[in-house]
Amino acid sequence: MPLVDIRDLKVAFDGVHVLHGIDLAIERGEAVGLVGESGCGKSVTWLAALGLLPKKAQVTGEVMLEGTNLVEAPRKHLEAVRGRRIAMIFQDPSSSLNPVIRVGRQIEEAIHLHHGMTGPAARAEARRLIELVGIPDAARRLDNYPHEFSGGQNQRLMIAMALAGEPDILIADEPTTALDATIQAQILDLLAQLRTETGMAVVFISHDLGAVSQICERVCVMYAGRIVEKCSTASLFRAPRHPYTKGLFGAIPRLDGGRARLSPIEGTVPQPSRLPKGCAFAPRCTEATARCAEARPALLEENERAVACFNPVIAETPARRPAKARTRQGELETA
Amino acid sequence: MLRFFLLRLFRALVTIALVVTFAFVVLRMSGDPATIILGPEAPPSAVAAFREAWGLNDPIWVQYLSYFGAILQGDLGMSMRDGRPAIELVAERIPATLQLTVPTLILKLAIGIPAGVYAALHRDSIVDRIVMIGAVVGFTMPSFVLGLILVLIFSVTLGWLPSGGQDSWLHAALPIATMGIGGAAVLARFSRSAMIEVLGQPYIRTASAKGVSWPRVIRGHAMPNAAIPIVTIVGFMVGSLVAGAVVIESLFSWPGVGRLLVIAVSNRDLAVVQCILLLIAVTMVVSNFVVDILYGYLDPRLRNNYAKA
Amino acid sequence: MSMPLLSARHLVKTYASRRGAFTKPTLVKAVEDVSLSIDKGRTLGIVGESGSGKSTTGRLVLGLEDPTGGRVTFDGAAMPGLKTPEWRGLRRRMQLVYQDPLAALDRRIPIGEQIEEPLEIHEIGTPEERKERVAELMRAVGLRPDQASQYPHELSGGQRQRVVIARAIACGPELLVCDEPVSALDVSIQAQVVNLLRDLQEEHGIAMIFISHDLKVVRNICDRVVVMYLGRVVEEGPSDEIFSKPFHPYTQALVSSVPVPGTSLTDRIILEGEPPNPASRPSGCAFHPRCRFATARCRTENPQLLTVAAEREVACHLLGPAQVPASIAS
Repeated sequence: MPLVDIRDLKVAFDGVHVLHGIDLAIERGEAVGLVGESGCGKSVTWLAALGLLPKKAQVTGEVMLEGTNLVEAPRKHLEAVRGRRIAMIFQDPSSSLNPVIRVGRQIEEAIHLHHGMTGPAARAEARRLIELVGIPDAARRLDNYPHEFSGGQNQRLMIAMALAGEPDILIADEPTTALDATIQAQILDLLAQLRTETGMAVVFISHDLGAVSQICERVCVMYAGRIVEKCSTASLFRAPRHPYTKGLFGAIPRLDGGRARLSPIEGTVPQPSRLPKGCAFAPRCTEATARCAEARPALLEENERAVACFNPVIAETPARRPAKARTRQGELETA
Repeated sequence: MLRFFLLRLFRALVTIALVVTFAFVVLRMSGDPATIILGPEAPPSAVAAFREAWGLNDPIWVQYLSYFGAILQGDLGMSMRDGRPAIELVAERIPATLQLTVPTLILKLAIGIPAGVYAALHRDSIVDRIVMIGAVVGFTMPSFVLGLILVLIFSVTLGWLPSGGQDSWLHAALPIATMGIGGAAVLARFSRSAMIEVLGQPYIRTASAKGVSWPRVIRGHAMPNAAIPIVTIVGFMVGSLVAGAVVIESLFSWPGVGRLLVIAVSNRDLAVVQCILLLIAVTMVVSNFVVDILYGYLDPRLRNNYAKA
Repeated sequence: MSMPLLSARHLVKTYASRRGAFTKPTLVKAVEDVSLSIDKGRTLGIVGESGSGKSTTGRLVLGLEDPTGGRVTFDGAAMPGLKTPEWRGLRRRMQLVYQDPLAALDRRIPIGEQIEEPLEIHEIGTPEERKERVAELMRAVGLRPDQASQYPHELSGGQRQRVVIARAIACGPELLVCDEPVSALDVSIQAQVVNLLRDLQEEHGIAMIFISHDLKVVRNICDRVVVMYLGRVVEEGPSDEIFSKPFHPYTQALVSSVPVPGTSLTDRIILEGEPPNPASRPSGCAFHPRCRFATARCRTENPQLLTVAAEREVACHLLGPAQVPASIAS
């Protein structure tokens, strides 16, 4: 039985649907990537699951966690799930921490909520967590405020706070997008390492296919509020089947590629209030036929992968050449 | 930290000096005190004697310098009308004004902040709309209009409350209500927008996401941040404690500093006007100073600036 | 060898950061001894993380800020002083495109007028000719001429950046400096704008300096690349070579930090720590606290940028001209 089972989750704001029925199951300990461009609904899915959307959002469907549907659960129940069973970290770490409260107190608050610890015990635990996420001089830095840390360190603090509840799932919503390249690598590394150590499941939300592939075994590609492709990371990169996924690969330049012209996806993402009648991707799709404009393809499973397309890409053209082993980072020899 | 204090003190003194100069220039340029105080029919000899006694024959810059020099020595001059020290005249009026403004301030805080916060937390609800409409009405209606309306209702029609004078606490009820309603409206609007701004910040979502209950998110995470902008406007309100009742005191014949100011201006009683303006400037400057200190207490990001300044 | 279109020699930019009116300002060196040059019609990438001084360098070479030291030469002549008539005249020959198109555009003016504005300022053509040129420019950047009456908020982010680009190329500039021009855009839109910039650059022979933290985009668009760390150039060379065989330990880590599908995390070089604040620059080589190979010399002596192989320059004590190719070519 999956740990969390999302079934037909829909979200609407003022009658306009931004999420059109998501089915997604997360197993214990696995890492799943949610990939897509802004507005595709990847963050909304989890904010809705945890009841963190503004009140005017209308959420329907099921988010099953141990026999309880979180969508209909009372506030008290949700508050007990948040942080304890499902924790979440966000894109902009520097504004995600409360600027007027010492970071130690913010972490201790989570420790108190989930373990009932207070005083020196909570403080010792906060210190252990800060050390765990790799912030040097932990004891002293507990008394600092968020603005006294760099962006990367703030994300480490967010992770420490998320770990306080020993959650079953960590939802990482674009955790590295706002950070510099070398810091992104550090945070990805930390997340992968913590996952190994704690055995928690990770849902990694990102627009960066490369980053997702390094953390996750499975990937869901989302477009305009729907999952359009779902499969293992390896097979997604070997042979993307949805034209949108394939388009994304073509649109991203390669570091080991030459100066070849990119093949972008033409047009723009449709606004939620003006979705085309058939497949939402049809107007931008190179494979679209008359049928695509009329009917919407369902997400059909076949051979452990699923794709929502009438004309899926068949050719076994590798989207990526088998990555060259990165010998180019040969060790330097000190002269 | 000491440097920060000294810097603020220096700025405060410059502000006060500018206020004093401005008042001097405006009052002396707008009419001759001698003819105004003695009346247009006063004999020329009396006018001449008056001018001589008050040094009005000296060049204006000499008058200015000697006036300024006296202030530096703590001498705020004598009232040209009563012949008593201006500071005495003003000081004896202060308690009456505080009798109005202190309860007014409490009323503003007690109504304005909770109403604004409640409206922000229940955005677009009926209560929010009522608060906002009330705030707009209270905000746009001039205080004397509101005062007259209240007098019409409670004094003239119902006869419950007196419309003027200072004999009992009952007399203070209408002036306090008039000022309190307007101020509470301003504060409600301000608190509402400050709170809405804060509720939209990512750290509020973070607090919810880690399992903090909603009431505790509000108290523990939102309020401390929303307090920062609210303190600014409360600071302004505290700054007008001494002299914030000019119009209302005149309207309700309340013998406070505000009414004295109106009388002194129409008499060109320079020393008294100056004394009151100085008092206003000083309270403003002091409350600003307190606000700055509070900022440092409420917002650690600013605290650092002080420490390094 | 022909003269480069633009060359900058030993640029230094120091900002005084002042915390209070009576405090002694601390000097922050945003850019320290940066030299670079670009030939007509070529593309030069500047990569680096926040605090590397790449944006400041872009503004300095455009003459939008006066350098504290060093000089910029454009087309054989020294950069005229800020806001002088000569400087103004030069604006039509060099243009800037930056990250946030909404901030670059005036939201109260229709986009057509905004594209026309530089033509008016530099008094190019008659009003009719200008209208024709605006339509032509809009087609060139992939907008429909009938969109000229629209306002910035009616367009998507990608379309706004197209407007900014149309305005930038309106006067036929010889140099275009693009500072993170696609960072705020979605992946599929990024590719559209990158292609557009490439096409315009190739078609009109515009020289382009492309500043970005995104190595993949720089790799795709640039002939040469300059890698900056904390205000200094640490490596320069042809982009083909820099990204396939980085020499400087920092460049190696930077290249390695780009997640490539199919490579595992463990193969990557993960740097310790974070880039220091430019206000408290480490002694010696600024990179030494994070460098795996740092020696005692790195802590005290600042390495100079030296040619270590054909067209390749590196500032690292471990990479002398003689030994580098041998030790790295493994």
